[in-house]
Amino acid sequence: MAKHIAANEIGRRHYRWKELGLLIVPFCILLLEMFQLPLAQYYKSSIDTNSQQIPFSTSILPTVHDLIPILGLIAVIVGVHIVLTIFFPKSDQMLFPIVALLSGLGVLLALRTGPDAFPYDVNLGTKQLLWVIIGMVAFLITLFGLRSMDWLRRYKYTWAVLGLILVGITLGNALRVKNLDSPTHDQLNFGPFALQPSEFLKIIIVIFFAAYLSENRDVIAEGNFRLGPISLPPMRQLGPILLMLGIALALFLGVRELGLALLIYGIFLSMLYLGSGKVSYVLGGLVVFFLLGFIGYTLFSYVRARFAAVGLDMVNWQDWNSNIIDFATNGSGLQVAQGLVALSSGGILGAGFGLGHASALVPVAQSDMVVSVLGEEFGLAGLFAMVGFYLVLVYRGFRIAIEARDPFYQLLAAGLTSIFAIQTLIICAGNLKLIPLTGIPLPFLSYGGSSVIANFIIIGLLLRISHNTALEREGLA
Amino acid sequence: MTLDVFLLILRLLGIVLLYLFLMQVVISITRDLRKTAAANDDTFGKLPPVVGHLVVVDSGPSKITPGTSFSLNPQTTIGRGPTNTIQISESFVSAEHTRMWFRNGVWYVQDAGSTNGTYLNNQPARDALPARPGDIIQVGFIRFKLTQ
Repeated sequence: MAKHIAANEIGRRHYRWKELGLLIVPFCILLLEMFQLPLAQYYKSSIDTNSQQIPFSTSILPTVHDLIPILGLIAVIVGVHIVLTIFFPKSDQMLFPIVALLSGLGVLLALRTGPDAFPYDVNLGTKQLLWVIIGMVAFLITLFGLRSMDWLRRYKYTWAVLGLILVGITLGNALRVKNLDSPTHDQLNFGPFALQPSEFLKIIIVIFFAAYLSENRDVIAEGNFRLGPISLPPMRQLGPILLMLGIALALFLGVRELGLALLIYGIFLSMLYLGSGKVSYVLGGLVVFFLLGFIGYTLFSYVRARFAAVGLDMVNWQDWNSNIIDFATNGSGLQVAQGLVALSSGGILGAGFGLGHASALVPVAQSDMVVSVLGEEFGLAGLFAMVGFYLVLVYRGFRIAIEARDPFYQLLAAGLTSIFAIQTLIICAGNLKLIPLTGIPLPFLSYGGSSVIANFIIIGLLLRISHNTALEREGLA
Repeated sequence: MTLDVFLLILRLLGIVLLYLFLMQVVISITRDLRKTAAANDDTFGKLPPVVGHLVVVDSGPSKITPGTSFSLNPQTTIGRGPTNTIQISESFVSAEHTRMWFRNGVWYVQDAGSTNGTYLNNQPARDALPARPGDIIQVGFIRFKLTQ
């Protein structure tokens, strides 16, 4: 009985102390890195003029004025924290501090790469800051708007069709107007804004899969359609999902978005496994994937070109013949080769924030190759810390999924979390030359408005699910 | 002190802070895990009590061996779906086949809209019927005896 009363008292103590405690160190990190940036610029400009040792004096220290972008971001984060405390006291307390740190580092990276990158853009950091703030607003709107998520489940086909039409229009437009090699060919322009609907399509696909699988999981898990020793899921139940998957894959393969196709296939396999609990489906899916990959490799030259970069032997660069040298310095191998050089020059402790060369030498360093910039300037130690943050983020997401009561919420939370996991895996492995490099953003760290907003919406959904679960457990809902 | 040294100090401080934050998060995760483990231990004691058993007397066409015993909770559902208290994976058992509940010392048996029906002592249990220990409950083609 005493325990029961104690539990009630804990329930009544609403303030999110844990979240506040976890936010303090990220604020220190962000301020420290922001403080370092002008110093690094001063250091670089001085080293150009004289190779002497540069003396340290307090007059070169940055002023409060230089810290304004991060101080503004911290104010917004504190504001969001207060809103969470007032309206959603029961939601998960660990996700938001991690996301705040990662998105803050994303702003810092954009501030840092913007002036160096090609094409040169001094306002890149300011734009990213704006996107993060818009993202946090979208995060709160998601939290407030989805009091009950039943309508997400009920109108699953509407969402699916809407999402596919939106992406279809964009891609059709891209095929007609622009060439496929331009990096912005999957954007949709709304006045001054350029949106990437594919970022939002992945959320829609997860909602659709979660709604459909939670309704049909019993039948799909049973696998009454036998083919020798292999039991296949019943085709009638799996049809809509396969159709959705097929359309999405065809769309992305049609415009050479290999990364997104890979991401969506990965989400499909993980959600099918989570819904049915059958390893055999995943193994079968992987076999199909390798078959399709092999067919793609033999049929399409652009797939072969992506794979060629994986074959680069960076260690024995002295033995390169003129063909390979041309490929790695002018051809499509340039990005990966330069990224690896940057990573290795960073070493264990890194060159120091603002002191690397990756942002100037690696093409598209601000979004696709952000791992290289991180690895060069923060070193192996910093990169491991980032991987650690993503691991913890994914862990918390799956934790929310496990705690949820309803199968739809479980699948939704797990699927949304898989987006982060698979996306991080694909882009990190691509940057490290383990798999072909594909242009998908590293969640929160890469520059990109749609990506940041979509990621904040995902976090909003996860927090809403955890809040609903906590309310249900206490019998308030 | 030169600027190099100052920048090195800042860089090391940054890495230390990154790992400090990671450590802080991991510590609060372990604390959280311990708390949920304790809460689970708590609810473990509150598991619905076993108030009777169903013993298979005639397994019909199914693979269940006669004599198998299933525990009954005060609220028990029998069916093929994974959400049932007693799950029987046979094609002739419906997803949710039979509902049983224990109230004021009496068992009640009711069919849950199954295809092959539920019978209590060969009487169709379309409405709730009271059952006593020793009665024969038939779920689809499987016959159980209700015991304490």
